[in-house]
Formats: sequence, structure tokens, C-alpha cells
Amino acid sequence: MFAVLALLVGVALGVVFEPSVPLALQPYLPIAVVAALDAVFGGIRAKLDRIFDDKQFVVSFVSNVLVAALIVYLGDQLGVGTQLSTGVVVVLGVRIFGNVAGIRRHLFRA
Amino acid sequence: MTEDTERSEGTERRFAPDFLTEMFRNPLDAGYAEAASRRARQGPGSPRRRGAGRAARAAVLVATGFLLAVAYQQTVAAQPESARARDGLVADLKNRQAEADQLQQQANTLRDQVNRERETALADTGADTRRIRELEVRAGLDKVRGDGVLVQLTDAPQPVDPVTGQATGKNDGQVLDRDLQDVSNELWREGAEAVAINGERLTSTTTIRTAGSTILVDFKPIVSPYQILAIGPDDLDKRFNASDTGARFRRYGTDFGMGVSVRKRSGLTLPAAPDPQLRFARPVQSASPGPSPTRSALGGH
Repeated sequence: MFAVLALLVGVALGVVFEPSVPLALQPYLPIAVVAALDAVFGGIRAKLDRIFDDKQFVVSFVSNVLVAALIVYLGDQLGVGTQLSTGVVVVLGVRIFGNVAGIRRHLFRA
Repeated sequence: MTEDTERSEGTERRFAPDFLTEMFRNPLDAGYAEAASRRARQGPGSPRRRGAGRAARAAVLVATGFLLAVAYQQTVAAQPESARARDGLVADLKNRQAEADQLQQQANTLRDQVNRERETALADTGADTRRIRELEVRAGLDKVRGDGVLVQLTDAPQPVDPVTGQATGKNDGQVLDRDLQDVSNELWREGAEAVAINGERLTSTTTIRTAGSTILVDFKPIVSPYQILAIGPDDLDKRFNASDTGARFRRYGTDFGMGVSVRKRSGLTLPAAPDPQLRFARPVQSASPGPSPTRSALGGH
């Protein structure tokens, strides 16, 4: 409940302030979103598994976002930004799917 | 159940050699299990630590929500921007086209006026107005009326990939600038005296060329169906059909699906071509402005 509230507060802040993203940061936005979603779904799964840990959650979020941004940046510098972005999305997507499958097993026993 | 055993094995943080297989089998960060087992060994941390942890978790979730909202707005904002730019360009284009049409109409009425004025002026001096009219018709600077043919070329339908249902790139039956050039050249050769493609009268300086995927006649874009009107002898259609070019285009029709039709038409009116702007060429001042030698060639008509 507390987590959902915090998430909603974040959304409200984003809607209210409507920050304009600097052009240089725009390519990182989608990747950052996917990385953040991965951390969040991992956290939910851990919560349902009753092994949730705040430190692990925070560290995984920060490192996910930073590493994803770093990979995209590196890719852009090397001229393979699109391919590396795809790689990041595939890896994180697989993890998200796996974790959602775990959540699903918990919630629906299926 | 198997999951739990797997996880308890994973607690001693093994770095699996096959990262992908490991990730597919167990996508959850091993750190969670590790932290849980540590808690089980040492008991929960101090209340202050737990409070800080909750605050950090809340901060991360707020950041996630913020990120989602910003990303959503960014995507939504990017969409209309490109659409708006396109709409603006389309409106601009339509405006300019209307403007150009209006100016063309104005030019036509002014040209008619000039012709009338000149005729009355020349009639006073006794000059040969008929010859001037005839030369203008020849040069394509005046409207003409007469019988002739309509050659219509249509692009073959775009071939569609049977699997995806999407249009495939190559269309052999598409009408090219070269085809229009060939048809109009053949019509001239068979005795046509005036030719117009989609309402653009051909003159000695008219160009037929391709820009991108559009055919330009005298710098005006035209699209399929391409209607080539020609005023000429009565048997112009038969002559065209009997020519090599006619046979070739019939073959295009059967082989590539290009729409080709040659029909006799009577009472055709072909528009005047825009006045050529002479910017570099100057008329040679001849001593005697009398009848030129071309007169005899013209006189036959």
C-alpha cells in the first residue's frame, strides 16, 4: 500500500511539474524506464516471496538505471547505440517476464 | 517447491557460467535471497536502519513514478509535434497551390487581353495577324482546338507480398518519365501538332523528368493516370498503334500490368503553355523583318 502510494506520488509529481527533458538525456529515458521497471518487478516478486530487502531494492534500482544509461552512452559513442539499446531491452525484458511469471504464480497459483 | 530449493542453493552466490540460462531460470536478483538468509541468521536490523531503508525505498518508488510520468509525457509530446509540423507543411502547400492556380488564371486572362489588344493594333497597321496566331499555336503559346487522340497510361497496381500483405518495393508496371517522353515523341513523329500531358502543354522547352517518385512536366508534378492528349491527323490513333512504340506499350500492358489505352477523341481543346521567360537568349535583329523562310513550311497547313 505504502509502495503504491509512493509510486502515485511520483507520477503526480511528474504530471504536476511537467519537466522538459534535455535533448542530450532523451535517448536514455526509455532505457531508464525499462531498467526501473525491472527493479520494481524484482522488488514485488521478492516481496511476495517474503524475502524483500530495502537495501537490495534501492541498490538494484540505482545500478540498473546507471548501467543501462552507461551502456546506451557507450553504444552511442561507438556508433552501435541502437543495437546495444536493443540488447539492454531484451535482457531486462526477459527478467521482467520471469519476475512477472513468479508474481503470477503467487497471485493466481498458475 | 522446486523454486525454493533452487534459491537456497543460489544463496552462496555462485556465478553461473551460462548467464543466459541462469537468467531465464531464475530472473530474481540473488541479492534478495542472500539478504533474507542474512536476516534469518542475524535477526532484523535496528529500527533506525529499517526506517532509513523504508525512506530509501519510498524515494526509489517516487523516482520510478516520476520517470514513468515524464517518459509518458515525452512520448505524447513528441507525437503531435511531428504531426503538427506535417499539417503545417500540408496547409502551406495547399495555400501555395491555390495561389499558383490563381496566378495562372490571371496570366491566362491577361494573355487573352494582350492577344486582343495586339490584334486590333496590328489590324490597324495591316500586319499578318493570322500568321502570328499560327506561330503561337505552333509554339504552344495559345489554346488550340481540334480532333486527335487520348493516350492514357496508368501505373500498374503495386505488387503485394502474399505473406505480409504489404506492398513490395519494385513495380515494373509503373509509368516512368521515359515512357511519357517516348509516347509524346511518337505522337510528334506521327504528325501531332499539339500535345499536352495532364493539362500541361508541351513546347520546345518543356521538360519531362522524375524528381523522387513524381513525374514533373514543365516543373509541375503530375500523377497517374497520365493523359496524353494530342491533336493531329485523323488516323493518329491507328498510326500510333501501328508504331513500334505503340506495340511496346501494349506489351507493357500485358507483361507488367500497366494500363495503356489509345482512343480517338474529337473536339479536343489543349491549353496554352506558360510564356517562356527568355533571360539569356536575345532575338537576332534582322535588317528586313519580312517573311522568314519558314513561312513556306507553315503555309502548307
